[in-house]
Amino acid sequence: MATETAPPGDDPRQLLTSTRELAQRVRRAQRATWFPLLVFAAVTFASIPVYRYGGIHHFGKCVVTGSGPRGCAAYPNGEFVYWPAALVLAYAVIAAFYIRRSRARGIETRVRPYAIAGIIIAVALIGATLWALNHPSGGGPAGLHSLGMRLATPTCAIGLALLVLAWAERNRALLLLTVAYSAVVLVPISFGWVLDPLSRWYFVPRLVIDGSVLLLGGICFALAQRPWRPGA
Amino acid sequence: MTSHPANGLNDVVHQRVRLGILTIAHEARRVEFSYLRTNLELSAGNLSQHLGVLENAGLITLEKGYAGKRARTWITITKAGQTALADEIAQLKLLISRIDSVGGTPPD
Repeated sequence: MATETAPPGDDPRQLLTSTRELAQRVRRAQRATWFPLLVFAAVTFASIPVYRYGGIHHFGKCVVTGSGPRGCAAYPNGEFVYWPAALVLAYAVIAAFYIRRSRARGIETRVRPYAIAGIIIAVALIGATLWALNHPSGGGPAGLHSLGMRLATPTCAIGLALLVLAWAERNRALLLLTVAYSAVVLVPISFGWVLDPLSRWYFVPRLVIDGSVLLLGGICFALAQRPWRPGA
Repeated sequence: MTSHPANGLNDVVHQRVRLGILTIAHEARRVEFSYLRTNLELSAGNLSQHLGVLENAGLITLEKGYAGKRARTWITITKAGQTALADEIAQLKLLISRIDSVGGTPPD
């Protein structure tokens, strides 16, 4: 039976097992999932005063539907400035955090894919927003427009960013959270909390729900990853 | 008759410590000497020897620098190192499956 035994030296099964365990350990050591979740939650909550006090701006084409009233898209002014700036800043903070943390620990994380994805998402978000604004609901298929508007939301951009992070970290738990978050954002799920559309605070439930999903996710990951632990 | 999977093993990579170094380096952009020493539970001299073997084989590159006043050595896996690691894993899986198929087949 000497022909089918392992070669002298290390046992292949043990080598493979220890290699997998080592790779898993290194991946776990590089994860700091709680941080981007908390940053994106903070960005979402911080947008509430921007929506409330940012002023209203009529933007895009106004459409006359038959003999009915003109339909114009109206959006808070601050939203257009706040979200691109906040998302870019959030990305920069997250990337800087990962670089600083990984250097301190002696194992550098690959941040470039995440940064490139962030730039692509930011450009796509701006493009989708401009498209949606120039294609009012009266000018095309309502379902397509509605989907386009939802995909153009900054919260959807956050979902995409989390998806990229789940891939970069090879983190299934984050992937599950991202799917749940995307469902809440895209369906959208309001848990029955809806304010009068004419209210000046009509957007609060949407932002509080989206931000709370991120906040709870961040807290859960922080409890699991325990960043306060020495060497964690 | 195909050759035995053991023949496909790379002597440089098929070693517990060197395989560990390549595995860790593969998972990161680059890794610091002290991280490897701690995680592989090696002395500095022993680790240096293994790093030298891998560097000579072109599987890693070493980069010396400073973090503040502390001297640091960073290790980066090369393309050849990634290929060698993937080949080693594939050969190990093949070897295990060969052992399992021979050991698990009851005699007729």
